[in-house]
Amino acid sequence: MRRLAELSGLVAPVLLLALVGVVGTFTSRSVQFQFRFALVMAAIVIALYVFVGSSGVVSFGHVSFVAVGGFAAGLTTVPEALKLSLSPDLFPVIASAEVGNAASLAIAAAVGGVFALIVGVPLMRLSGLSAGIATFAVLVITNNVLRNWEAIGPGARTLSLVPETTSFLQATVGVIAVAALAFLYQRSRWGRVLRASSDDPAAAQGAGVDIYRQRLLAFALSGALAGFAGGLLVHLLGSITTQQVYLDLAFLTLAMLVIGGFRSLWGAVVGALLVSGINSLLLTAERGLDLGIGEVTVPTGTRLVTLGAVMALILLFRPTGVTGGRELTLR
Amino acid sequence: MRGTTRWSLLLALVLAFGLAAAACGGDDDEGDGGEAAETGGGGEATDEPIVIGAAVDLTGQMAPFDGPAVTAAQIQVDKLNEEGGVAGRELQLRVIDHQLDPERTKSAAIELIDDGADVLLVTCDVDFATPAVQEAITRGVLAVAPCIGTDQMGPERFGDQGKLAFSIGNVAQDEGAAMAEYAIDQGWMRAATATDNVIVYFQDVVKAFAARYTELGGEVVVEESWTQGDGTIQNVVSALDNANVDVIATSTAFDDMPAMVGGLRSLGNDTPIICGWSCDGNYWLPEGTDNFYLVTYASVFGDDPSDEVKELITAMEEQDQAPGTGGFVTGAAAIDAIAAAVEETGGTEGEALADAFEGFEGLETISGEISFSEEFHSVFGREYRVMEVQNSQPSFVELRAASSPAEIE
Repeated sequence: MRRLAELSGLVAPVLLLALVGVVGTFTSRSVQFQFRFALVMAAIVIALYVFVGSSGVVSFGHVSFVAVGGFAAGLTTVPEALKLSLSPDLFPVIASAEVGNAASLAIAAAVGGVFALIVGVPLMRLSGLSAGIATFAVLVITNNVLRNWEAIGPGARTLSLVPETTSFLQATVGVIAVAALAFLYQRSRWGRVLRASSDDPAAAQGAGVDIYRQRLLAFALSGALAGFAGGLLVHLLGSITTQQVYLDLAFLTLAMLVIGGFRSLWGAVVGALLVSGINSLLLTAERGLDLGIGEVTVPTGTRLVTLGAVMALILLFRPTGVTGGRELTLR
Repeated sequence: MRGTTRWSLLLALVLAFGLAAAACGGDDDEGDGGEAAETGGGGEATDEPIVIGAAVDLTGQMAPFDGPAVTAAQIQVDKLNEEGGVAGRELQLRVIDHQLDPERTKSAAIELIDDGADVLLVTCDVDFATPAVQEAITRGVLAVAPCIGTDQMGPERFGDQGKLAFSIGNVAQDEGAAMAEYAIDQGWMRAATATDNVIVYFQDVVKAFAARYTELGGEVVVEESWTQGDGTIQNVVSALDNANVDVIATSTAFDDMPAMVGGLRSLGNDTPIICGWSCDGNYWLPEGTDNFYLVTYASVFGDDPSDEVKELITAMEEQDQAPGTGGFVTGAAAIDAIAAAVEETGGTEGEALADAFEGFEGLETISGEISFSEEFHSVFGREYRVMEVQNSQPSFVELRAASSPAEIE
């Protein structure tokens, strides 16, 4: 019974994600696209949660892994001729790589995971604010390298003509897979150890826990999931630029996690979907939203002001997020 | 109790999503109708309006370019409708402001096409426009950017379906060539170039300048580059100040442009600077800017040589939408070109319209004669307005067409 109650912590997020996937299919095509986008955002936020939620260390740099995953998935599915026209100096191995949708997502996850592992080796020795700032530095460095090194990608140009394979099915199955892996990790011995060590580092170290190694594992796993989510994103939009996977996305995904509650998977899912919903509704309202009882139009810019205000209010009145950082379980 | 609260949160979320879906999904039927119009509309004689969708940015950093172009397009649509429409059909322009958000850019394109758009206007930068362009061309809808200034709208960037992508902007190879030919005619034989790598158009204009300039016997002695917003513009200014050249050629915009020009002038350096359309307008000019030259589509300072252009500016001013740069005229020219293609093909089928566009050679539009080819899906051969800025006041100098687009890699 207890095991069932624990498992129920996965049921609620999966149910909600599946529901969004199903409800979305009944809308118009442009709204369907926004629903699919919300699901992909949820995948990114869950990936971020795997590290932040377990370690208690804020990461501003996870969008780097989304970026490398996105570019990896894009570059391995775009025809060689187009890649070379965008970037004639591309490494031959990247120029000639052409794989299917599923393989490109696997590559995205692998690239994200390996990249996170490499940068994690020095970074995971840091704690608190310095770790957060160091991850921000990773974001800036990654963006500049992607933007200027035309041997590994299109540089400042948009990588276009990426096959748009992130259908509702792929988005929903993809995000549920990410949620399931996040759940399995948090229930695992490693997940519990890291969470315990973030609550009381001294006690954890006293009990023989190697915090550095545990953090590195969480960072690499969450980097792999973020890379995978980047793959879903590029296959949704059909194109990617370095600007799309930079500060705006980093702020937005972190805001989603904080608003939802960064200590639980349920919080990550709720935060991502809630903010995506508010975002879409306000964007529509900026142009005029028909509520059936009359059209509501809000001034342009309301969306960003509202998101900022919601985040500030949540931090003030419910610092643990709308879910209180708790899982939704039967207990 | 706490459990109840949390489950009620789930319920509330479910309800909220249901409501959101209901509110946003209200146009389902229109969407279906749109698809029917899209598949059945092309090439057939019909009384239905010709719908031109515009997925553009009216609030972000492209707003100074997209906004006036869309206003001018609307004025041209109204004008053509007053004259009886196009092929006996009324023109309609439907605009969605996507604020440069890539997700919104794509969903705006989907919404407009589902709503029956026969042609899609997109934002004036190919990188920002890509999600909308891809949506249009994969669904067989002609995508036209009023003022993208690279040759990227076409098959090179978008594969075979790129046949359906065009820009009424100048191909950068042509604009850079016109700048170089003007510079050589002034006797400026030693140049420095300053390349802003932030967008391809900026890079290509400077490349084209350098290519034509050296062909004509000029010498590029200093080549500086930076990326907009990277905080290195003052280093570029220092290097240019030490260059000791006859002219500095650049193509940039946004914040770094006044920083560069103002920085050079504050150092007492009055070397002539020549730029493309991106430097048009006086809203950014630092006080006391002298010896600044640029080529653009139209003069917005009351001295454009074309009466039709002046009338369009007056009409925009009457709507409190006075244009800031000459790029506005491309919005109206886009409508002219679309109208000409519809007249020629008798319908709105994307592939046929694209064939008509590729065949335009010296097509008369409000922005002068424009030409496209299979190679260039952006305009070449346009007569530019060369503008001179003295004491921060731009004025029209001459009309100048490049002898040919420059060859760049």
